[in-house]
Parts: sequence; C-alpha cells; structure tokens
Amino acid sequence: MSEQVAVEVDSVTKEFGVIKALNGVTLRVRRGEIYGLLGPNGAGKTTLIRSIVGLIAPNSGTVTVLGRKLPNLDVLREVGYMTQQAALYPGLSVEENVSFFAAIYGVEGGVKDALEFVDLYTRRGSVVATLSGGMRQRCSLACALVHRPRLLLLDEPTVGVDPQLRVELWEQFRRMAADGTTIIVSSHVMDEAERCQRLGLIQYGRLLAEGSPSEVRSQAGTQNLEEAFLKLAGEKKES
Amino acid sequence: MSGHRIAAITRRLLQGFRRDRRTLALLFVAPLVILGLLGYMLRNSATPAVGVVNEDSGPLGAVVASALDGSTKITTTNIAASDGDAKLKDGSIVAYIVFPSDFTQGAQGGVIAPQVHLEGSQPNAAAQALQALQSALATSASNRPGAVRVQPEVTYLYGGPNLDTLDYFGAAAIGLIVFFLVFVVTIVSFLNERSQGTLERLMASPLRRGEIVIGYMIGFTVLALVQSVEVLLFALYVLNVHNAGNVFLIFGIEALMAITAVNLGIFLSMFARTEFQAVQFIPLVIVPQFLLSGILFPVSSEPTWLQYLSNVLPLTYAVNALRDVMVKGADLTWSSLQLDVGVVAAFVLLFIVAGTATLRRRVG
Repeated sequence: MSEQVAVEVDSVTKEFGVIKALNGVTLRVRRGEIYGLLGPNGAGKTTLIRSIVGLIAPNSGTVTVLGRKLPNLDVLREVGYMTQQAALYPGLSVEENVSFFAAIYGVEGGVKDALEFVDLYTRRGSVVATLSGGMRQRCSLACALVHRPRLLLLDEPTVGVDPQLRVELWEQFRRMAADGTTIIVSSHVMDEAERCQRLGLIQYGRLLAEGSPSEVRSQAGTQNLEEAFLKLAGEKKES
Repeated sequence: MSGHRIAAITRRLLQGFRRDRRTLALLFVAPLVILGLLGYMLRNSATPAVGVVNEDSGPLGAVVASALDGSTKITTTNIAASDGDAKLKDGSIVAYIVFPSDFTQGAQGGVIAPQVHLEGSQPNAAAQALQALQSALATSASNRPGAVRVQPEVTYLYGGPNLDTLDYFGAAAIGLIVFFLVFVVTIVSFLNERSQGTLERLMASPLRRGEIVIGYMIGFTVLALVQSVEVLLFALYVLNVHNAGNVFLIFGIEALMAITAVNLGIFLSMFARTEFQAVQFIPLVIVPQFLLSGILFPVSSEPTWLQYLSNVLPLTYAVNALRDVMVKGADLTWSSLQLDVGVVAAFVLLFIVAGTATLRRRVG
C-alpha cells in the first residue's frame, strides 16, 4: 500500500440480518484529501464510516487505516470521529467535554485551540444541555479533533449549523487538509459535495461512482451534482 | 490498561453528578428518609388498644385485668360489654376481653376461661393481645398464694433482652439501601452513555472495554462509599441500631455490596434500550433478591427449593454478613463470615467479567 493512501476499503460487505448495508464497497482515500461520501439516508454512509473506525467488523473484506489493518486499537489514537448526533455529556460544560476526550486520547493541552477552532472558546463554561443544536454540533466537532488526528471522520457534521458557520467550518476543514489531515465527510447536501476534492456516490450499500465533482458531473453528462446523482442512481436501479 | 484513561472516565462521571442535584438527592437524602422512617415506625409503633370487660363476681377478674393494665404490649381501657362489638367495628380497639361473672368460680374448678373477641383482620395486633393475655394469666396464677412459680432463667448468646426489630432489620437495611440506590443510579447512567451516543464515541477511541468498566466502577464506588459512611453513621448514632461488631468491618461489607451493585448495573444495562426498560429490572431483579435475601424471613425458614435459590443470590450472603457482624459481633476469624464475604467478592468478579464481555456486543 502506498504511503499516499490514508484509508483503503477493499470489497467490504456488512449485513444486518437480511439487509446488506454495505455490498462489496472498494475505495481509497488519499492522504490530505477531503473525500465526500454522498448518498440518500440509509444508503450505507454511516455503516461505512463506522467500519473505518472499527465499530463494525465487516462480514467480508478488509479495511486498512493509515497503513494498519483493522481491527487495531492503536491506530484509533490517530483517528477522530464525529457522530451524526452530537454525542456529548449534557451535564458537563463545553470545556469539560472537550477535556474529557483529550484525556481519553492521552493528549495534554489542545483544548483551547480546539475550542477556538469551532468558535466556542467564549462559551467554554456553558453546560452542554443549555446549548443550541448548532453549538452542540460544534462542541462535538471540537471533541473529535482535540487530539489532532491524522484522519478525521465526520458523519453529517453541518446538520443544524447555520450557513455562515458552515462556510467557516469548511474553510477550517480545507486548512486542516492542507496541513495533511485526511478528512472523510458524509453528507446529503449537494453544495457541500462541491467542496470535496473527491466524491463517492453511495446507494443501496454500493459505490455508484467516484471522482472529483467535475468528473462525476461529466460522467453523468449533467450540469450539477444533484442531477448527476439522480441520473447515476437511476441507471443503477434499472440495470 | 491506562491509569490516565480510567481516571478520565471516573473524573467525567463525578463532574456530571456535581450538577445533577436530583441524583445527588437520591443518593444522599433518600437513604436517610427511608432509614429514618423505618426506625421511627419500628421503635415508636403504637401498642394495640384492647378493651377489658370485668363482670367477674369473684376477685380473679380484677387481678388479671390489673396485670393486663401493666402489660407493655397493649393499651387497655375498661369498657361495657354492650359497647364491645361497636368499638371493634369502628376500629377504636382491636380486641376486647371479657371476664364473665363465673370467672373466679370456674378457676377454682380448674378451668380459666376468659372470653376474647378479636377484630380479626390484623394478625399482628391480635397476636399481641393474645400474648398479653397469656402472660397476664400466668403472672396472676403464679402470684396466688401457694401456687407453682414459673420462672425460667434466660441467658442470651447474642444480642440481649433489649434487641428489637429495628436492630434486626436495621443491620440488613443499611446494606440493602446502598445496594438498591447504587444499582438504580448505575444502570441509568450507563444507559444514558449508550443512548446519547457517547459510548459509541468511546468505543471508537483507544479506550479498552475494561478501562470503561473500571472507570465507572471507581466513580460509583466513590459515591457509594460516601453514601455508606452517611448511612452507617445515621444508623449507629441517630437510630442507635445495636452494633456488637467492628464499624470498619461493616463499612467494608457495605462497600463490597456497593461494588456488586455497580457491576450488576453495568451488566444489566446491556439488556435495556431505554430508561423505562431499565426500571423494569427492579421488580425482576431487585425485588425477588430482596424477598429471598433473608432480610424479612430467615433463609432457613424458607421451603427447601427456595433455599437453593436464596443461596445463589449475592444479597443473601451480604445480608447474613451484616447481621453476623452487627448482631452477633462476628469478625473475620469466623468461618461463616469468611464464606459470606468470599462469596460476595466472587460475585463482584463475575459481574465485572460479564459486564466487560457484553460491552462490545451491544455497541456493534
């Protein structure tokens, strides 16, 4: 495996009872790139992300993260994971939440930087239960990146975040990627997809298409990603 | 295993409780309310009221009636025979005793026949009235000139004549309260960890399963130990529950019970998805243990097959250990206490292993 590859997913299949949440997915994410997982609800995006953080053992296929084959507890030290719902302790303050995750990952310091990164430093004393949805989402993001992971997995990170902050967060993601952090982000918002360097279109647990936003558009022969996605998904269904 | 990560889990848990006043009240106020009520009810229970009707034409009726008056088990009032049934009905007395006009005469003929009318729906009160009557009759009979005196010499191996119901129940209750409250708080907090998604996050971190369980265990044990000290001091110095044993030994047994409850809570939280389902474990897991632990009915008086069941429950051993220490003054040189403490400690290990083993399964 080349040093340039951060995540390699090789023909991964995961079944939950009769449902095939992932059906032979193969993809590679390069170091320092922002890779977007695009697809409707229930397509398998979250299952794919969970298998990359080792929460799910695939029925078949392998996942290799930062050069180490899963399951591997050590590699998780270098991975940050932000879940779909803002998974936080509601009874703790913003700072206590972030400090807790810093301690779990064995890093000291960095809490202030993480809080400033998500623009919550002035609200660090607020108890999470009293925060708005967008602030919780930002706090959750701070918890995911406080240990400066080399790979950051974001499961629909901007749900409930206002447009202005969304633009700011994407600006930050781009800066992190430029510093060498690999980011995998799932979304079903098409204008976010445009900001990714490469996209993977997922439906029914399969990878329908992959490439840069312009490659995906030209592959489908459409003007925008939304149409491209609908067209590619439609073709697959018929075949 | 990393001490830092375990400490982080413990610290996080305690930080959360600092702002959770409701749970703090459950842990530190509820035990005093429960124990206080128990103590007040058992120590200051009113004696049942008994009516006395003396129609005896001879002297014996009055002698027995005055002996009844002196009884500590009941409170007597003189009533008219015609009022008796009405008073039973309106609940102002639980029994009335009639010494009929031929009472003395009958006694001289060898038959002592007072008439007892019982309200009948309260077995305890009725038994107390009958006991009082019997001892009054015995006293009166042996006070007669020339009578045979019945005077058993009583010695106590444990306890003493002043050991009362509260001393017997209190010893077990202090452990039981700690066990129950710690169990409820643990199962709900661990369930929250799962439902708010933070457990998923922890599982995606370098934390090991054992570190999560131990971190939780230490956090709750700290709370439980503070609670144990509070409950113990309240029982010993406010309620004056009899204690013949070493206070530190009692504390040690309580701590062991708390650790059992924490790990049972963690283990059972794997089988619940919501807080409501967790609460459903109380009638399923806690109440049968409570009934079978010997706290209300001694295990040796249970039907044989229930005894087998009692003997595989941790609470049975813990209750027995607490009673042995507090009532009988047992110390660790007693083989019965070694067995009790050993069994409870083995249950702790079993629940830790079970809790750790089921953790991964329910996350994935």
